[in-house]
Formats: sequence, structure tokens, C-alpha cells
Amino acid sequence: MTRAIKGALVECDASIRALIVRIDSERHDVVIQELDETHLLIDSNKVDFVKAELNRLLSKNTYNPLDDEEIQP
Amino acid sequence: MASNLFKLTVNDYLEGLPEATQSKLYQSPATCLAIFRLLPNLAKFYIMTMIFNEKPVRLLDLDTWVKPQKRAEQVEGIRSIKSLHILKDNGEVAVLNPKFRENLKNVLTGVDIGVSFGAPCETEDSNKVDISFLDTYASNKWETILHFMVGTELNEFPSKGVLHLLRHSGLMTGGTPKAMVITNEGFQFLLQDVNAQIWTLLLQYLRMAESLQMDPVDVLNFIFMLGSLELGKDYSTSVLSETQLNLLRDLKDYGLIYQRKDSSKRFYPTRLATTLTSDATTLKSASTAMSQVIKSATTTTTTSSNKGNTSGSQESSSTAVSAASSTIENAGSIIIETNFKLYAYTNSPLQIAILNLFVHLKSRFANLVTGQITRESVRKALLNGITAEQMIAYLETHAHPQLRKTAEEVYQKKIQYDANTNEKFHLIQPNITDQIKLWQLELDRILTWDGYLFTDFSNEEEYQVLQSYAEEIGVMLWCDHNKRKFFVTKEGNAQVIAYANRKLRKGK
Repeated sequence: MTRAIKGALVECDASIRALIVRIDSERHDVVIQELDETHLLIDSNKVDFVKAELNRLLSKNTYNPLDDEEIQP
Repeated sequence: MASNLFKLTVNDYLEGLPEATQSKLYQSPATCLAIFRLLPNLAKFYIMTMIFNEKPVRLLDLDTWVKPQKRAEQVEGIRSIKSLHILKDNGEVAVLNPKFRENLKNVLTGVDIGVSFGAPCETEDSNKVDISFLDTYASNKWETILHFMVGTELNEFPSKGVLHLLRHSGLMTGGTPKAMVITNEGFQFLLQDVNAQIWTLLLQYLRMAESLQMDPVDVLNFIFMLGSLELGKDYSTSVLSETQLNLLRDLKDYGLIYQRKDSSKRFYPTRLATTLTSDATTLKSASTAMSQVIKSATTTTTTSSNKGNTSGSQESSSTAVSAASSTIENAGSIIIETNFKLYAYTNSPLQIAILNLFVHLKSRFANLVTGQITRESVRKALLNGITAEQMIAYLETHAHPQLRKTAEEVYQKKIQYDANTNEKFHLIQPNITDQIKLWQLELDRILTWDGYLFTDFSNEEEYQVLQSYAEEIGVMLWCDHNKRKFFVTKEGNAQVIAYANRKLRKGK
């Protein structure tokens, strides 16, 4: 039977898609369906949460030159 | 409104006025001269050629005066004077607006110009002020406004009129002076040069004036008159109309005009006012240096990027160097290294405040601030609505001459090595500009749409019918034929479901 599932379509590159899937792997309430390489269907109430999480994860991977200096005496 | 705030120049404003208003403007010789000064060069050339020619000129002749390869400039020049209704043609011959022609002729030959260029005071001012006083006064007033916008702690706030205009033009929001905060448009406003800033505010003022039933012709005449006054001289208020006297009071708040007392019968235009319609530079201050450098840098970068990879690039680079060196004395102050460290030789609190918008500033010395461009600092600016392009443009226009010189040398070497190189001239190291742009892209790494996923179709036909319908009405965002799934927008969902009910029920 045909169904229409409510959600938010996410378009992103593969690396970001992997990150979103990882976010979901801890709580299982974000991703509804994995569509293809660059698309995901996620819970539309979780869009802001996903964006915030992504920001957090991506900032971890960036080098912040100021951190180094604060360690120095 | 606010987004095209800065694109709208005074020329556009004038061109947009109804013809009747324009004709009224041409009654004033000073206005004619000011408009003439604002025109593109080729438009000036046409007017000059036709002004002492009593007979109409054939349109075909207009073409022969200009080299074919400059056709674009010619079209632009003619378009501008046509939309100002200075040039009129009937398809064959062209004539100048008679009033405009007569008045401009009078201005040039110096006869019968009346008081439209202001009435100098007959008597000596007992409290005479000199030019340097006026300059300090004007820059104080103007920078107070800019400082207020960037949120510097101030002893006194700009006047009510200024605050109202800032709010009205969407540069700032908030009720009380203390609670007012700068908007995205405001940030972009700060990155303009002084002249553009003043015009932006004046045009806003004009719009407000229209709604207050002030005659725009009166206002414009006064503004253009200011543009032709002489700095350091005092002028009498006796020839001004009631509207213009009101305007005079308002313009004092912006530092365009100095009056010792409100009741004074004389006023002094400041440099901000007298340079309104000219290319000459305004105040000797940080913001002036800014505007100067912006001007020279925009011309040099356009020449070098236009000619880019042709053999003419060497020539253009050398003109760029000379243009750059001519601005050395009061020019740019920013050195940025490939490691994102930034040094700015400035002591202007305003420039520091602007830098602080997108640079993590670390230490400040007497004539130098140092800082670092970081992901965080750029993101903060991006979230405030400053674009990567604006930041890069700011860095480029304020680049230290040394930085420019080095970049030129590097570019020269590349050309010598390979004359056909496609490499463009980079004033700022490409790794810096690219990174700033990347940080901008990073902000929107994912695109999301709310909607519905249609799935679990029982047969191929059903899928085909609905999918092609959704695609046709333009609500489908994604589909996968193999898995028989497609995604429609929230808005389109109802339509697709209704269609599905109609089609598929009927089939059963």
C-alpha cells in the first residue's frame, strides 16, 4: 500500500551524510530513511538539532590557532 | 528596500524622478552643474559638445564621435542623460533640455547665476572658524554616528533626527538609544566609503522628506548647492526657503554644516558637504583614507583583472603600482600573512571596531593592532550578515602598500615566466581568500526541505502516474525510479494526494 511519510529531506555531500548517520546511531530517532548517496529523510523536528550537532562535530575537526596560545604560559 | 539600499546611487534616484520634477530641478544653475558633475564621462562629453551648438544634432552624428569599441560606454552615457531628460530626441535629431542648457552655459560662462550657489556673507564673522576646525568638527560628528553604530561607548548619543533616520533606513533597530543594535544592512553600510555613506543617508532622508510633504526639489537644490560651496567660507541663511532652513538644522547633526549657534544667520559648509558631488577626497581621517584606498584599489584591481591574461597585463600592473604608490602616504594599513595573522597600522578606533567585526584582535599598540582571522571570528561575521566577499574586499582595499608591492612582484614574475598564464592577480594570498569563502560555504553544508516521502508503491504504473504528476506541477524534490520513491514539498503534498485519490480510485 502506498504511503506518504512526513519528514524533512536533507541534501548534503557524502561526508556530511555519514556524520548524520553517526549522530543517528546513538539515538535512533533522527533518520527515518536513507535514500541515496546524498539524500536522507529525517525527522522534521530534528533539523535544528542535526545542524547544531554537525556544527559541534565539524568544529572539533578544525584547528583553532588560539587554543595553542592559551596553553602556553 | 534595505537590500538595494546601497546599490541605489544618487544618479539612480535622479533618473527615477518624474520628468516634471527633473525640469524643476534644472531651474537652478547650481543643480545643473552638480548633476553634470555626477554624469559619466561620455555623457559629459556629449553635453559639452552640444551646449554651444544652437542647432539640433543628428543622432547618427552622436555615433561618429565615439570609437566603435567604446560602444558600451556610449550607450550608458546616452541612456543616463536620456533618463534624466537632459537629452531629447525624435528619432532623428537630438537636442538638450533648453533650461538645462541655458543654466549650465550660464554657470560655465559665469553670467546670471543668482544666489543658487549660496549667498556669501557680506560682513566679517566675529567668530570666524578655519578649515582645520571644520574638518575636526565634521569628522567628530560623522564618526560619532559610525561609532554609535558599532556600539562604542559614547558620552553622548547622536541627535534624535539621526537616530530616527538610522532606524527608518533599517540600519539599526531598537527603541531607545541604548537598546539600538546594528542590523545586517548596517554592517554593510559600515563597509562603504564615506561619500557613499552620506549619500545613502541623504537619499533615505529624501524619501522621508517626501512623506513629510517636503518638496524634494527644494531639498535636492539645497544639497547640490552645498556641493558647490567653498570650504572655509561662511554663507548667509537669508536666501534659504523654509524647507531648506529645516534641512540646514538636520544636516548639522551629520556634520555637513557648522553653525556656531542655532540662531546664527550664517553657516559654514564642511568638507563632507563640499565634496558631495566631486571626486575629491573628504576628511583627512581614517575613514577618508579608507574611501581613498577603496577608490584607487577598485580601479587598479579592475584594470588588472580585466586585462588579466593578455599581454597588456604588464602595462596595467605598472599603472596599478603607480596608483598604489600615489596613495602610500595615507593609504591602507593592513598586512595579512598566509598564516592568517593580521597587522593593521591604525589608531582609528573606528577602523579597529570594523576589523573587530571579523578578526580576532589580540593586542593593541600605539599605532598598531594585531589579530588573527579564525574560523570563529569569520563565522561570527557571517552570522551577522557580512559576506565573505565583503571581508575580502575590505582587506583588499585596505591592504598595506608593502603587501601590494609584494603581490605585484610575485605576479610580475609569473608573467615573465609564462606570458600566457591564466593566473589572476591576487592581492591577498589565495589561501586566505579561499578559506574565508570556504567558511562561508561551511555554514550551509546541508539543505533541508519539509515535505513527504511517497513510498511502497504496489506497482510500477501507480508510481509512474504520481511521480510524473508531481514532477509536472513542480513539487517533486527527489526521486528514485528503482526504489519507487519520491519526495514532494509540504505545499505540494495535498495536490498530489488529491490527484492520487482521483486517479487511483477511478482505476479500481
